[in-house]
Amino acid sequence: MPSLFSPFDLPDDIILLLSDELVAPADFILHRTLAAHLKAGLVSGRVKPKSVILSVSEGLSRWKTLAMKSNINLQTHLDLGTLEFIELSSCAEPSAEANLRGVFDRVRMALENSRPSQQPHLIILDDVSVLEWIGFSPTSVQRFIRALRSLALKANATLVLRHHVVTPNEPDELLRHLLQICTYHLEVRPLASGRSGAVSGEVALHAGFSYPSNNINPVKLLSRSSALQYCLTEAGPEFFVKGTSGGVL
Amino acid sequence: MRKTFRPFPGRVAERRFGDGISVLAFIVSEGMGRRKMSSFKRKAIGKQALPVYPGTRISPASNQCLITSTGISSLDDILGGGLPLSCSLVFAAPDIHSSYGDLVQKYFFAQGLANGHRICLVGKDPEGFVKDVMWYPKSHSATPSAGDSEDEEKDEEKGDESQKVKIAWRYENMKQFKTTVGNSSSEAESYCQTFELASRVPEDVINKARKADRLRFVDVGLDALSPSAVLSEITRYMESDSSAPVRICITSLGSPVWGDLTSQNIVYFLHSLRATLRKHPHACASTSLAPEVSAASWGGAGWIDKVGWVSDGALTLSAFTANPALSSMFPAQHGLLQIHTLPSPHTLSAPSDRLSTLRGLSSSGENNLAFKCTRKRLIFETLHLDVEGGTSERRTRPSGLMVDGGGAPEAGEKVAQVEGGVGVRAKKGKKRVAFDYDF
Repeated sequence: MPSLFSPFDLPDDIILLLSDELVAPADFILHRTLAAHLKAGLVSGRVKPKSVILSVSEGLSRWKTLAMKSNINLQTHLDLGTLEFIELSSCAEPSAEANLRGVFDRVRMALENSRPSQQPHLIILDDVSVLEWIGFSPTSVQRFIRALRSLALKANATLVLRHHVVTPNEPDELLRHLLQICTYHLEVRPLASGRSGAVSGEVALHAGFSYPSNNINPVKLLSRSSALQYCLTEAGPEFFVKGTSGGVL
Repeated sequence: MRKTFRPFPGRVAERRFGDGISVLAFIVSEGMGRRKMSSFKRKAIGKQALPVYPGTRISPASNQCLITSTGISSLDDILGGGLPLSCSLVFAAPDIHSSYGDLVQKYFFAQGLANGHRICLVGKDPEGFVKDVMWYPKSHSATPSAGDSEDEEKDEEKGDESQKVKIAWRYENMKQFKTTVGNSSSEAESYCQTFELASRVPEDVINKARKADRLRFVDVGLDALSPSAVLSEITRYMESDSSAPVRICITSLGSPVWGDLTSQNIVYFLHSLRATLRKHPHACASTSLAPEVSAASWGGAGWIDKVGWVSDGALTLSAFTANPALSSMFPAQHGLLQIHTLPSPHTLSAPSDRLSTLRGLSSSGENNLAFKCTRKRLIFETLHLDVEGGTSERRTRPSGLMVDGGGAPEAGEKVAQVEGGVGVRAKKGKKRVAFDYDF
């Protein structure tokens, strides 16, 4: 069965931190992961794994449109109950901290109501940074993430968190916290030379602080110098190694 | 040799096209397959009929998305055809001596008014703002002639005809070096109207729009509205009628008239505005930040990036007004355009990457962009050095290469020469050169 995070051969049941910059957004990894998870669920047996999307920045319509390009109808999954879409942008009133508690309870209910399946469940939080920028206190955001992490570990689920980097040379407090709790860190960066028509950006893979030291099947990490480059096309991202050997440039 | 699709008899043939369209057919016999190609039926999946509004068109990037013009054809090109409905655009103009951010808003307003869209104008003294909005040229009839937009260039060309430069015959037929894009057809002209900065919108047009409830003013200063109250007003206006597209035009967000707004308030406002627009697919918004708020360091480190993350498109218009060094280096332009993010409501990458001529990403790296404001209009174009290279050091020596007579140039004259080409003498800053090659 193909990995959720192809071509990065990451295992399931992990806490993945995804960081990106404005010039090179990591949307494509989120959409690709969801599509891979829903497709894997179709062949996994009678009990389908649950996918939960916590959407801060994007509405359901964009998720549906982009899933359609992978031949997945999200409405069917919503009707079947294999997908739970929770829009945080509608319920996010920064002054009321109770809102995040309510969101967490919805996620917990969704996972508790689903039966254990062969495939791990998937939780995607598409934008951690904006929660802090619109006024949620850093403490409440960190508590929310910590609670999601413990829920994911308990429910045998993969948790994907996306964080926007606006100061590339100075990691902010929230990023430092996320780096401590994640198993892997997938870093999507723009090219240092600026935008290009042939290369959209590059992806590096680092080990997080929770990376198991006694890993039997070690994952091949990618430093920034050996980062994998990608180009976004209509069909999705195409990955290739740096340099001219791939015949891209 | 042309390849044809020959289905094998007795099998189900499937062909896939773009946008989720697939064709399924059962082939009875080869002969039938050849004779009756109509047995193939298109099965459209997830294709919805979009309501057709005046002044909008289906996006070339996605058939599920409508776009509308910003009123500036070159800006439309940068956006990939126009601003998609349900999206928000933010302009930052950090220069305090000019107001290019508000000028773009005026174009956005004028375009909406010309197309009969419903407009919600938010800001300080909206009635005063409307009086300054540009309109059709005075000579404009019912439909503007296609040539109006190029009037200025034509005038210049006419004046120069008498002093035409002699160009080597093999370069004479090469197309002229162009730095911007314009409306080439009448259809494009009706989509993006041509306005002239010297004209003002007639009062009766405004009154007519107000009577028909196509125009709503939200005076932030007079009514002492908080950002959340402004959002409620906008939402109410969007929900009141969905028969025509709604343009939300917000001017000088963050200026003192809005009260003492923090960076958090502004980010929350823009984030909520975008979430509201997503629920109303017939509306779009264009916002200009106040000059002091547009500074990169105003809201802390990475401020403009934060604005970009909570809006669909974010652009900075950095005028040269406060920097004489840049003005002298780029005398043909009035400022630089910086693109932070561009709308992509139905695609992973912005359609502009593929479709924009000015950005030029489809062929190579991204072009540097700038803008200039002429007597008649605002134009976005590619940034290019002056023919002399932009610096006095690159002027060539006055030598025997002069075309119109030899001798040293007089005071006040400029000499330009392109390597391997022909040097000319230009008077009073008018430069006419023959290019060695077109690039």
